Amino acid sequence: MAIVGQKLVKQIQTTGLKATVAQRLDDAFTRFTAGLSWNDVRGILRGDPPAKPNPRVKPHTEGFWFHIRPTFYHEAVTTLYPTFRLGLLSALFFTFEIITGIFLMIFYTPSPTYAYGNMIDILTNVPFGKFMRDLHRLGAEAMVIVVTLHMVRTFVTGSYKKPRQFTWFTGVVLLGVTLFLSFSGYLLPWDQLAFWAVTIGTSMADAVPGIGPQLNLLLRGAPDIGAGGLLRFYLFHVVLFPLIGVIFVAVHYYKVVRFGISLPPEMEAVGEDTARKVPPEKRVNFLPDILTNELMYAGVAFAVLAVSCATWYSAPLEHHADPLVTPNHTVAPWYFYWLQGLLKIPHMIPFLPTSIAVEVDRFFANVFGLTPKVFWGVIVGPLMFAILFVVPYIDPNPSRRYGDRKIMLSLGALFAVAIIYLSLAGIPTGVPITGFGYVGGDPASEVGQAFIPDEGIGPVRRLPYEQYVVGKFAINAEPNTGSAGLDRLIRDIHNDMEARKVRPDPLGKTLSADATGSLEVKQIQADLRQVIITIDYTDVNGAPTQFKKYTFLHAQSGYAD
Amino acid sequence: MSILKKIVTYRPSFTVRILTGLISMLILLSVCTFIGLADQTRLNVRANEFNARSIEVGAKVYFDQCARCHGVNGEGVEGLGPALASEHFVGRIELVRDNMQMQTIRVVQPSERLKQIGWQGTLRDYIIAVTEAGIPIKTSNMWDVTHPTFSERLGGPLRGDQIRNVADYIINYGLDPLPNDQALLPPAPGEGMAPRPTPIPLTPAQEAGREVYLAKGCSACHAIRGVGAQGAIGPNLSRMGAVAEERIASESYKNNLKDQPPATTGAEYIRQSILYPNAYIVAQCPQGPCQANLMPQNYEQQMTPEELNNLVDYLNALR
Ligand code: HEC
Ligand code: HEC
Ligand code: HEM
Repeated sequence: MAIVGQKLVKQIQTTGLKATVAQRLDDAFTRFTAGLSWNDVRGILRGDPPAKPNPRVKPHTEGFWFHIRPTFYHEAVTTLYPTFRLGLLSALFFTFEIITGIFLMIFYTPSPTYAYGNMIDILTNVPFGKFMRDLHRLGAEAMVIVVTLHMVRTFVTGSYKKPRQFTWFTGVVLLGVTLFLSFSGYLLPWDQLAFWAVTIGTSMADAVPGIGPQLNLLLRGAPDIGAGGLLRFYLFHVVLFPLIGVIFVAVHYYKVVRFGISLPPEMEAVGEDTARKVPPEKRVNFLPDILTNELMYAGVAFAVLAVSCATWYSAPLEHHADPLVTPNHTVAPWYFYWLQGLLKIPHMIPFLPTSIAVEVDRFFANVFGLTPKVFWGVIVGPLMFAILFVVPYIDPNPSRRYGDRKIMLSLGALFAVAIIYLSLAGIPTGVPITGFGYVGGDPASEVGQAFIPDEGIGPVRRLPYEQYVVGKFAINAEPNTGSAGLDRLIRDIHNDMEARKVRPDPLGKTLSADATGSLEVKQIQADLRQVIITIDYTDVNGAPTQFKKYTFLHAQSGYAD
Repeated sequence: MSILKKIVTYRPSFTVRILTGLISMLILLSVCTFIGLADQTRLNVRANEFNARSIEVGAKVYFDQCARCHGVNGEGVEGLGPALASEHFVGRIELVRDNMQMQTIRVVQPSERLKQIGWQGTLRDYIIAVTEAGIPIKTSNMWDVTHPTFSERLGGPLRGDQIRNVADYIINYGLDPLPNDQALLPPAPGEGMAPRPTPIPLTPAQEAGREVYLAKGCSACHAIRGVGAQGAIGPNLSRMGAVAEERIASESYKNNLKDQPPATTGAEYIRQSILYPNAYIVAQCPQGPCQANLMPQNYEQQMTPEELNNLVDYLNALR
């Protein structure tokens, strides 16, 4: 103490108080930045050229955070092409999800008794709660897109080739982590959407031959998803997958730094890798150029997310999970549509004549216990993902040039087309034109589903309460209810019914030509009405049949906005 | 092509980077400020929305589970359950909102019933308590049943959230409660233990009709006070004689009857309902709007004319 005090006093005596304070502050500042003085930082922010020797490399050797990053990039990889900054964006979204996730964690209990109520609390009682939830959800979906695009770009630029095979491999692990992080988070709100999407997803595990039931038990903690399953998914979501993610991002990024970001293919001789041999005049220093570039990307990405959540995006929250009620048209999350599409292939060998295909299926079912569901869902689906792992190891072509890689690029495109096609098949409406994957019940019930969906809002709930008129109205082209909104709704139902009468659905079913409908609005309580759609039609057996679907609508439920 | 190349090889200058970054940060901050400023109001609005949706879900639960005993309009059902929509039970409430849209329920007139039984908590708590746990003993001779247990924890069919939803729905009756004289009120505690007055004596033909009612399985879907199972798919028939007369006088019957001549007496209406169930579809069944094609359409083949006459005679005697 005495020594320090003496030194300080001496300094003040020799240089004066002001200069001493300034020098001491600058000292602290330099220690904080691991080597940059206040003036260095100001120089950086002004865009001054560096002094010689360049003081701006100090943080890279002295500090932890900067030592992870290279001191300079090759000029050729600092333009939009070839990286499109998708790796950076993946890392940003990952960090962003951790931050928003921790916020949400504070208000969440992983138990079927509380989870859904907690979600409502987050939306109605926690300041910034809805904003954080929307950000977390939108960020998660954006991350899936960004990581996939990052993979597509490293594939297209051939960056998975020697020496970066293992970088690619760890990348595929990260893609898996991203998908499963999203998927495990999907269950947590404990609403119908979540519950059934995850029930469908985990039923795949159940179908694995031999160990299915055990695997299912491991995932769900019980034969069906309940308290045990929710807790497990929560732990997957907040501990296991983030942990694997952090570890693999570290390895992945170490490899990226180790080999350097690959140059645009046309800049290198075939089979050569010059990413790390950067001539001095091609160097772009990390400080300040790359750092400011990345900060700009971070700023723009987060601003876009925030503006989206403040304007058009709203994370869905359906009704409380109910194991007894399967909503019509339940789907997996969109990034697993392709898997759901695969499951809709009726036979193991799709292009065989049906009679033979049935025999083949029967043979495999008898001998190996393989049904089409098991074959496509449990074997082909995961295999399609597993192929990604081995891409760098089976591609024998050393050239990264686009012109030399016609076969691989075509295969990649084919794979992408297949995924898109299967994804379309995965949704209830199926693929346009071919109709593959369409699932729909009776046309009358499809009218009901279109206007009063089991989950989600739909036109009937979207029409504001005040625009309904109590009474019973025939559904026809010229309704006259006294309310323009209700007239429009009835006309829409009419048009939908007429369309279903003349245009068969992909399964060849039409609504019978004699079908008539009515819409009834009843006052149930003050501020509460019931809207009932009734359709009288003739079913396929020629019997007169009636379809009814209703919903309750409260004046304040706010579906309209 | 060259434009694409320009975009793809674009490298923003230092100034552009700093400016874009700063502007983004500003946007981010203004979004947060914008959200923060009106957050309380927006939270309140959303709370009101979720309360409204809770009432919607509660209505569904009510029609699925409660209406068969408490009436589709909460008016109560003879022998099965007291009114829940009566002023006596729900009192009278009003919704008030402050200038931040915070909505609170103001009790204009408290529930008589809670006072009568000396319940200290809120109406909501009482509804939840009764619904969750049921009332395991018979408290009066007014009811032929004891209250079922609804909580999943006690072996019932409903989850906690569904019970809270239905409580919200019942409380909402308080905005416009049924006048007490239009509702079936429960006896005060300690009363109503006197034996029930013997029902109107039935003639031998009507007695035979009741046997037909039981033998043909009508009670799987219908309920008649004190007779057989208490089905909840079709309308309650305990007052069928009186109801039949109300039906034929109603506008709905005149407008919606199909393929059959209109009935002119209650007995004719009952006969028509049994032989041609689809001729006129009753609006409300205990679990929501009545469905066509549910009631079998072949009773003409299943019973002799005499059985049918007796059955109609019996149902017509229920008033
Ligand atoms: C099997 C017929 C039956 C069903 C179904 C039924 N209740 Fe009841 N309920 C009764 C009877 C009988 C009573 C009166 C019991 C008593 O006082 O002993 C009653 C009383 C009540 C009371 C107390 C009323 C008062 O005035 O004290 C409430 C609240 C209630 N029921 C709610 C419900 C709800 C909510 C449901 C649906 C989830 C429901 N009940 C379903 C028969 C039923
Ligand atoms: C499978 C269920 C089912 C069975 C069994 C059934 N009904 Fe019905 N019943 C209904 C339904 C649903 C309605 C209401 C729809 C309608 O009006 O057709 C109804 C309506 C009625 C009505 C008109 C009630 C009113 O309030 O206007 C009468 C009367 C009736 N049934 C008598 C009977 C008799 C008597 C039997 C036995 C011989 C019987 N039902 C068997 C389901 C059933
Ligand atoms: C959470 C997910 C991921 C993160 C955070 C991440 C991060 C990064 C970063 C920051 C880079 C530097 C270059 C660039 O920005 O493009 C990079 C490069 C690379 N990534 Fe990823 N990545 C992820 C997922 C993936 C996936 C799914 C793949 C492929 C299957 C992949 C394969 C590669 C390859 C091959 C490179 C080297 C590219 C080159 O040198 O040009 N990464 N990654």
